[in-house]
Amino acid sequence: MSELTHASAPRRFIGGQLLGSSQLVLGVILAVLCIAISIAAPQFYSEANIIAILRQCALVLIVASGMTMLIITAEVDLSVGASLAFVGCIGMAVLNSTHSLALGMLAALAFAGGVGLFNGLVVTRLRVNSLIATIGTMMMLQGGVYLFTREAVQNHNQLTSFTDLGAGYVGAVPVPVILAALIFAVAYVTLRFTTLGRYLYAVGANEKAVRLSGVRSERLKLFAFIVTGLCVGVAGMILSSLMNAGQPTAGRGFELTVIAAVILGGTSLLGGRGSLFGTLLGVLVLKVIDNGIIILGWNQDLQMVVPGVVIILATYLDIIRNRANVR
Amino acid sequence: MSVDFLHPGEGAAIDTNVPALELRGIDKRFPGVVALDNVDFTLEPGKIHALMGENGAGKSTLIKIMAGVYGKDAGTIRMCGREVDIKSPRDSLKEGIKVVFQEIALISEFTVAENIFLEGYPTGKGGSIDWKKIRADSAALFDRIGFNVDPAARTGSLPVSQQQMVEIARALAHEARVVVMDEPTSSLTPNEVSLLFTVIRRLAALGIAVVYVSHKLDEVFEIADMVTVLRDGRHISTKPIGEHTNDTLIHDMIGRRIDNLFPRKRGEPGSKVALFVEKLSTARKLNDVSFEARAGEVLGFFGLMGAGRTELAKAIVGYDPITSGMIVVDGSRLVPHDTRTGVKLGIGLLTEDRKSEGLMGELPVYQNASLASLGAFARMGFIDKAKEHRAVQDYVDRFRIKTPSLFQQVKNLSGGNQQKVLISRWLMRGLKVIVVDEPTRGIDVGAKSEIFALIDRLAGEGLAVVMMTSEMPELLGLSDRVAVMCEGRLTAIMSREEATQEKILNAAIG
Repeated sequence: MSELTHASAPRRFIGGQLLGSSQLVLGVILAVLCIAISIAAPQFYSEANIIAILRQCALVLIVASGMTMLIITAEVDLSVGASLAFVGCIGMAVLNSTHSLALGMLAALAFAGGVGLFNGLVVTRLRVNSLIATIGTMMMLQGGVYLFTREAVQNHNQLTSFTDLGAGYVGAVPVPVILAALIFAVAYVTLRFTTLGRYLYAVGANEKAVRLSGVRSERLKLFAFIVTGLCVGVAGMILSSLMNAGQPTAGRGFELTVIAAVILGGTSLLGGRGSLFGTLLGVLVLKVIDNGIIILGWNQDLQMVVPGVVIILATYLDIIRNRANVR
Repeated sequence: MSVDFLHPGEGAAIDTNVPALELRGIDKRFPGVVALDNVDFTLEPGKIHALMGENGAGKSTLIKIMAGVYGKDAGTIRMCGREVDIKSPRDSLKEGIKVVFQEIALISEFTVAENIFLEGYPTGKGGSIDWKKIRADSAALFDRIGFNVDPAARTGSLPVSQQQMVEIARALAHEARVVVMDEPTSSLTPNEVSLLFTVIRRLAALGIAVVYVSHKLDEVFEIADMVTVLRDGRHISTKPIGEHTNDTLIHDMIGRRIDNLFPRKRGEPGSKVALFVEKLSTARKLNDVSFEARAGEVLGFFGLMGAGRTELAKAIVGYDPITSGMIVVDGSRLVPHDTRTGVKLGIGLLTEDRKSEGLMGELPVYQNASLASLGAFARMGFIDKAKEHRAVQDYVDRFRIKTPSLFQQVKNLSGGNQQKVLISRWLMRGLKVIVVDEPTRGIDVGAKSEIFALIDRLAGEGLAVVMMTSEMPELLGLSDRVAVMCEGRLTAIMSREEATQEKILNAAIG
């Protein structure tokens, strides 16, 4: 009995956990995309282009890190796009009136974290389904931002530290990429190595079992909502720095990109299953497609169409691969 | 849809000399497992044929092949002598095989009549559905099985027992020659069981071959004509039931004899009160329940369906809210009334509903086992996986949990092994009181005695075990004292010596 157990353990450790589930398929898709695009347009591999892709990825990856945790607990937040725009406006307004990046950042985080807290409370206390609850929040935020400002909140300060948030570099690496890498790393470690991460999976896999085990499952979900909100706070400030203004119209469809990346990465909407590494691959695939369409000079409207096709295709390939495994 | 089924004997006459269904040399492999190895299974028309075996013996695989859910890897299937190719559930139904699974596959929003004719509604003028005819035909079908269900009722509103009848009526509507009942009594009351048996006998009288899949020996002896036993994917025996005794049947199923299902190894319980419950009431069910359980004691709770055992179990561990009363675990009151406090004080529930309240099916065995005691394997919030795996491996070895690895998804284990994983979850945590609710539900005979031995051992190690059960042998075999419930009230507590079936049943009726 125990020999059996030990025999198959190492294999699962190396192959199974890193490149398990759908990530293999996704890795192949990413590789094929990169090769195909660079054959058609060699400038794909230029340093400038790679940096551009990474910068594009950063915003999505930041929010997708939180969203992965949330979806693993079997909840979802559709309000992140609307929140992103609102956060930028608020951050910028506070920055303008206080001349302090720290206070602007704090306001952005407080607001976005507050949105997460609100979503979390509605879902865990009022027991409203998160899909519905966060659509409600999304609508409130989309309308609310126009109550707050009718037009873009311009940057009146030109603080360099604020400009650097979006456009700066440390060495050759853009600041947003570094922030994204940091947030990704923290989330990755949390999910893989901590009790908190384990409980997040457990809540998604079976909330009742977790509750019977003496763990407060609502708190875990609340936590995931707040973390997702805070991630939006960081992303919102980076976005407003990039645009040098708080734009109430920014972030349209952003929630779809984020959720698409997470799902593409193999995280189950039913909860309990998923990984941040997959999310990273999902973000890369989507953004490489975006970039490819631009450098190949294709019609930009394809930027929505192609990822749609890819999501269906990748999910289907994953099903086929699972089936092959079972047989 | 034709209406032949309304006139038995007028359609194709059933030839009783040709087997209704004949499976020969069926092989089925899954990765790493031979689920079925050269299995033969022959059904005579008009006979009730029990299919028995432990979990993992291959029963489910075999009936899923008959149902067209799985394809076979080798072998032949003959319906009434004619070789058939079953590739999908649709094929299976067309050939006249109807499988009534444990988890009933009816559309709960549809009416009974709509469900019965789901695969082909009779149509009237211009292709419109002839509702009148559907209702009338449904009523006629229920007439034939001698059981009345309102054809216009919404299916989801019916109890499981009646939904089974709807499935059986569906079988008749499809002129099924073979009806397979998969563990049909697992959620029925004794009354419903005897009704079901009447209906099954009627099916047999209509010339239908009935396959009866069950763990319960007494039921099989009561209803079956023939018994086929599978073990480890192989055919072990097929005999008329008259040639079997309890012992020979168990022997065939597990390949060894179980002399005593309830080996009591522990000593007498101590005097220390581990759990003290006073005047406990809940909004819906419980009414002034008071009792105490001592360390080292198994306190068995018996009650008929709806007596409130599960409600009591969930209330005393802090899972369901209470309206009044007091729970004291190991000297401390369970306040606030939640599971977090409960587990801290040392009381936990081994749920009756493993799938929806116990297991995290998608997650590996080790994560399921360590769920309640993660803190013990963590430093500063980081899990020491090596330590965790060692601890779980220790339980896997001690309890002989059959799993290919610690990383196996727990949903792929058999019921008995899943239960052992859940017991490990609590033992790793270290409890004072464990509440076990129907600990052997859905678990086969061989694994059952192992679970009994485990419960005996738990008490032997000084835990107070509060056991909710509806199975009399389990109750009498394991308990030090027996408590009986009726409609949310405690009606009797007696010692092992006093407890007799009659006394217990009397108290259970109220």
